Amino acid sequence: MQYSSATLIDKYLRTRKIPSTACSGCGLGINHKVVVQAIDELGLEPNDIIWGTSIGCAGRQTFATWKGDGFAGTHGRVYAIARGLRIALPPEKKIICTVGDGDAFGIGLMHLIHSARSNADMTIIVNDNLGYQSTGGQFGFTTPQGAHTDSSPYGMFEHNLMSEGMDVMHILKGAGATFLARHVAMDGQRAVESVKRAILNPGFSLVHMPYPCPTNFASRELGSRNQVNIYRWIKERAKPLEEADENTVWATGVWHDATGSRPEFSEHVWASVNKIRKTGAL
Amino acid sequence: MKRFLETGNFAITEGAILAGCRFFCGYPITPATELAEAMSKRLPQEGGVYLQAEDECGAMHVCIGASLGGMKAMTATSGPGYILYADPFGWALGCEMPLVVVNSGRVGPVSGITGAPGQGEFYLTRYPTQGGNFECITLAPNSAQEAMAMVVEAFYLAERFRMPITVLGDQLITDGFEDITVPENEDEMKEMGFRTWPRGSCAGPNFYPFTDDLDIPPVQMGSGAGGLCSDWTPTVEGYDIEEVEAHHKHAYRLIYKVRNHRDLFNHLYEKKYMDDDPDLVVVSYGTPSRVVNTAVDKARSLGMKVGALRLINLWPFPDEHFTRKTKYLTVELNWDGQLVREVQRAAPKDAAVHFLGTCGDLPTIPDLLENFEKLLKNQPLERKGWELEAW
Repeated sequence: MQYSSATLIDKYLRTRKIPSTACSGCGLGINHKVVVQAIDELGLEPNDIIWGTSIGCAGRQTFATWKGDGFAGTHGRVYAIARGLRIALPPEKKIICTVGDGDAFGIGLMHLIHSARSNADMTIIVNDNLGYQSTGGQFGFTTPQGAHTDSSPYGMFEHNLMSEGMDVMHILKGAGATFLARHVAMDGQRAVESVKRAILNPGFSLVHMPYPCPTNFASRELGSRNQVNIYRWIKERAKPLEEADENTVWATGVWHDATGSRPEFSEHVWASVNKIRKTGAL
Repeated sequence: MKRFLETGNFAITEGAILAGCRFFCGYPITPATELAEAMSKRLPQEGGVYLQAEDECGAMHVCIGASLGGMKAMTATSGPGYILYADPFGWALGCEMPLVVVNSGRVGPVSGITGAPGQGEFYLTRYPTQGGNFECITLAPNSAQEAMAMVVEAFYLAERFRMPITVLGDQLITDGFEDITVPENEDEMKEMGFRTWPRGSCAGPNFYPFTDDLDIPPVQMGSGAGGLCSDWTPTVEGYDIEEVEAHHKHAYRLIYKVRNHRDLFNHLYEKKYMDDDPDLVVVSYGTPSRVVNTAVDKARSLGMKVGALRLINLWPFPDEHFTRKTKYLTVELNWDGQLVREVQRAAPKDAAVHFLGTCGDLPTIPDLLENFEKLLKNQPLERKGWELEAW
């Protein structure tokens, strides 16, 4: 099914914030469209979703784009806010948060893990531009090893969540997330299908979506702001999970699907509260 | 009404429930743990939710989320946790989200002494976050019964002002057992002077009007009004904006909605022997005020013309009590002198303002009387070494 951005924008987004203030050639818009397209394919309306955002490129550019209700948390804390909001909202309302890699895997990792632990129904889209780009381009915790950034002029050499066999997905799976997927921005409909499954999962879902930053990341690492170079650079390092090899940085596809394996947080809490209220015990 | 011999933590819990609080998220910390425990027992009985978070920063953010979804929420901690509220406190102030925050003061800095009372967060409750451009409201009860009343009042003010309100207690107030009366219905609540205010939901499209008006309901997620709230400076509709004029308008609201409506809480103080122009006014808040009140009774019986002023509303600071040129003595549970600085600022330039500090332990009545006498005789409060009045 072909989608024109204009159709999706008219239906779901506030034109005041479109086009966003993202840099020319930024891949964030592709990820944004993937999410909105998934919402449309699920037949959801603006009022069905509360849209949360974070700090940094991904948060700032997507805040207040959604036609329905939207909130932006302090840096790294949107996962904790969303957990409280989950308790207050009716179960049929969806929470989708578009956040950055620094927000989710740096400052907010503990709050993220605890939202996964509680299996709170929310879909976290981590738009990973390979570091802290809105502050000018410093490495983050999923920046590929050896990458040159403003704070790794000799090449990034710190151990991080995507080096030496580590993958941030293992942490989230261990913490109790019930749906995990990864797609790079150029995965197209494969990414849309995963986001749809993430939204439908009545529990904690996260989709990690690395995307190209021509302005800061590419200019330091590749020496060029030419968009084609950074799009190609990412594509060369991404492979579907089943084809991934030692040179693969981003193994893409559905990492973990445990939909329905654990009770959802808010449902579980309210069921417990109601039982205590009625019987005085659990 | 029902009477109990119970702790301040119990009283605060019952007060919160009476005020309509149905959500609590906290993190265990001495001496506020028992408050969380009481909430974990009582809230489910009332159909409310108790959650434990990964840390205090997370706890207050979780409360923000619940409040953002339309629930009346509260969190409670002590100094080391209150400092971790800095991040969410700023968000709640900026987005004008009603919340109640209880701080049971202990001895600091950092972990200090966990199980002893302190008053080290007098200024921190005024500046609980960074950035400035806001006013804060702080209420400081001095008993378990009053802690209940002030928590009810804090929920009332939080709704009307659309902001987080701090109730500043200390270890003796929250942990101490006292005679507590709990109202059982609305009539009894009114009889006890308890005020409540319902949660509303802002219908927009102007979510952040730059007026000093009260009673504008907060933004609510899930209401379908297209509400927006963020950590950035908002436009009137809630869009993020980086313009000085927009920021100025937002700051005006955050500051003057409080400053221009002080009549809602500036009656919260207690005066004793203040009608005959006393030669010495003893200023305090919280637990030390109870010792001060007894000492001042005793001083009067000894013929000393001493008065006592107890502040309950700490912030915005009630300058109006300090217009008289006389001697002032602040009695505080800290060694550095915090309240004294504010009294020095508010008092006439030629008024003599003195400070008597203890921390972790209350001042004794003989010690207070000795100091009253010295000040009345115009003798300096001389001390030695690390006990100097002014360091």
